[in-house]
Amino acid sequence: MESLAKQQIIEDLLPQKFGKAGKIWVGILLAFCTLGFIAYVLQLKDGLVVTGMRDYVSWGIYISNFVFFVAISLVGSLITAVLRLTQAKWSTPLTRIAEIIAVSAITFASIIIVVDMGRPDRFYNLFLHGRLQSPIVWDVIVITTYFFVSILLLYFPLLPDMAIMMKHKDVTGMPWLNKMYTFLGSFWKNTAGQIHITEKAINILSITIIPVAFAIHTVTSWLFATTYRPGWDSTNFGAYFISGAFLVGAGAVVVAMFVFRKAYKLENYIKEEHFDKMGKVLVLLALLYLYFNVNEFLVPAFKMKKSEEEHLMGLFTGEFAIVFWFAISTAMLIPIIILIQKKGRRPLPAFIAGLLVVIGSWFKRYLIVTPTLLHPFLPMTDVPEGYKHYFPTWQEWSIALGSLAGALLIITIFARIFPIIPIQETITEIEEHEQA
Amino acid sequence: MNKHSKIFFTAILLQLLAITAFSQAEKNDLSLSISYFNSNNHIQYLVAHAKSKIDGKFQMIPNINLSFYIATEDAANLLGKAVTNDKGDALLFIPPTAKDEWKKAAKVSFIIVSQKTKAFDEAKGNVEITKAKIQIDTAADRKITATLMELKDTVWSPVKAIDVKIAIKRMDADLNVAETPTYATDSLGVASADFKRDSLPGDSKGNLTLIAKVEDNDIYGNLSSEKIVPWGKSIKYYTEFDKRTLFARRGKSPLWLELLAYSIVVAVWGVLIYLFGQIKKLKQLGVN
Repeated sequence: MESLAKQQIIEDLLPQKFGKAGKIWVGILLAFCTLGFIAYVLQLKDGLVVTGMRDYVSWGIYISNFVFFVAISLVGSLITAVLRLTQAKWSTPLTRIAEIIAVSAITFASIIIVVDMGRPDRFYNLFLHGRLQSPIVWDVIVITTYFFVSILLLYFPLLPDMAIMMKHKDVTGMPWLNKMYTFLGSFWKNTAGQIHITEKAINILSITIIPVAFAIHTVTSWLFATTYRPGWDSTNFGAYFISGAFLVGAGAVVVAMFVFRKAYKLENYIKEEHFDKMGKVLVLLALLYLYFNVNEFLVPAFKMKKSEEEHLMGLFTGEFAIVFWFAISTAMLIPIIILIQKKGRRPLPAFIAGLLVVIGSWFKRYLIVTPTLLHPFLPMTDVPEGYKHYFPTWQEWSIALGSLAGALLIITIFARIFPIIPIQETITEIEEHEQA
Repeated sequence: MNKHSKIFFTAILLQLLAITAFSQAEKNDLSLSISYFNSNNHIQYLVAHAKSKIDGKFQMIPNINLSFYIATEDAANLLGKAVTNDKGDALLFIPPTAKDEWKKAAKVSFIIVSQKTKAFDEAKGNVEITKAKIQIDTAADRKITATLMELKDTVWSPVKAIDVKIAIKRMDADLNVAETPTYATDSLGVASADFKRDSLPGDSKGNLTLIAKVEDNDIYGNLSSEKIVPWGKSIKYYTEFDKRTLFARRGKSPLWLELLAYSIVVAVWGVLIYLFGQIKKLKQLGVN
């Protein structure tokens, strides 16, 4: 009976070949990636002049995208580490989803920063000649570290599943995939010693990833907060960024949960209970982020210092007002209204709320980066009209969309190659539950 | 002449008057003035100033080409040419070639002439000065004396009842040596002041520069003389340049930052390297 249940779990959770919808989805993502690549080649050829960025707005949607990716990558530490360490067993089916989102996001955060460089061929100078006093160098160090921590946190729990997949070579249907499984996990024999080492490693990683994750987003916030400019000159920025990052990461997990549940028919594993619990997490994080937003905008607005006035009024009622209120509504207010109700935490409404959080959060990052650059302390005088405004060119949109598509492609390909829900952990948990 | 013809000619006349008036109003009067400076009795120069009343307000006129002459406006007496800057000023050092003309009399006049431009007609300005010199000196008890002499025929004679500024030369302005900024010369041409500034920051050796000045005098122009005295407080210049600071160049970061950052990096990467080692151990366990 038990082996039958175990067999069923394995069958349900083994990676599945793409169906028609899956192929179309991959095709669309590849098309966006190709477009982004072409745009980047043009940018390399002609220089950053093909973008809308000029002397004042030197950080446009590339850096907004970077901050967004860094933010979303924080979900790895939330779901995998925080919930694991607090013994929240319900999160087991979500850990791998969270980790692959983290890995794909941090990969594209690194890529998009290179895209923003006028001379990417000089990138190595950051390592050779970087100033330790610069938050940019801290960011390079911490992103690299976080990438490896996330990779390890993805890899260790995968080892038992790798052995299962090697036993079911026929299901994968691709010899090269089986070779990869053999390379990555053929040594896994499920011995007590191996299990002990793996559990210990996962625990160490779960503890390590929390300060590293806090560091990555705090340092990213310091890229801005250590610069004396209206809108960035804030002591609130570290906590503000981390709370926003947890929110968008959790929103992304809810979206991914819904999509994988539908696409791979995982209703028995990603249950309504998971949406309910993640919905509660999401509403808590949205309220927390709203609190930091109130601090971030209400306090300076109350004082309305002359140097901040133009920037703040631009957000509240000026040229950025539509985007600002759209971001506040979609990233926080509407999701709170949806998710605070029990029926709002069912799969579909929770998915909609999660999607709104992700979309709103992207625009929120844009609002953090760009409007400040358009409102320097010294007024812009004797500059071409184009310097006073910023709107991304088609190359920037293509590259930004290409990077988002690339991140989604990594997640999609990963789910095609590896089980998106940990098989061995699910079996072990069910066995422990039955024994209890 | 019928009524219509009268109106027509009157209109034409008014039009011509308006055009004439307009064309005359196009050009504003350029006002030129010139000042003579003698610094430390050996550097002599002239500063010309160009201004014009435009829309009821005096404005400084830049980019005016000026020719400087000594004594007369002859080509032989041309001292040089200069162009006014944004403040309407043009400076010209008196060249050694003017030596002969300079020595001819105790009084010397200088003339400036501007070239005619689209905006301004040719303009002139001049100044006549009596050759004079000022000498600053110090005596016991930190007493400062400034002696003003003028050239009468071929003899240097003292000048009395002229206000002389005796001060300490600082970075941007002069600092009074005592409560009073200026002191009148007596019959010997001497103005005296007491130095009452204690512990005033000087250079690294405690040196201060004293200065005696006659400013904008109608007869003598601008005269000044300086003397360095060790009456200040010695100040050691301290710079953060090339020290270990947050704003220093690469390799000069503060030690506390290096210690903190490298400790964190070593600690975290130590853990990661340990975990990579655990993967190797897992492989060995699998083989065994």
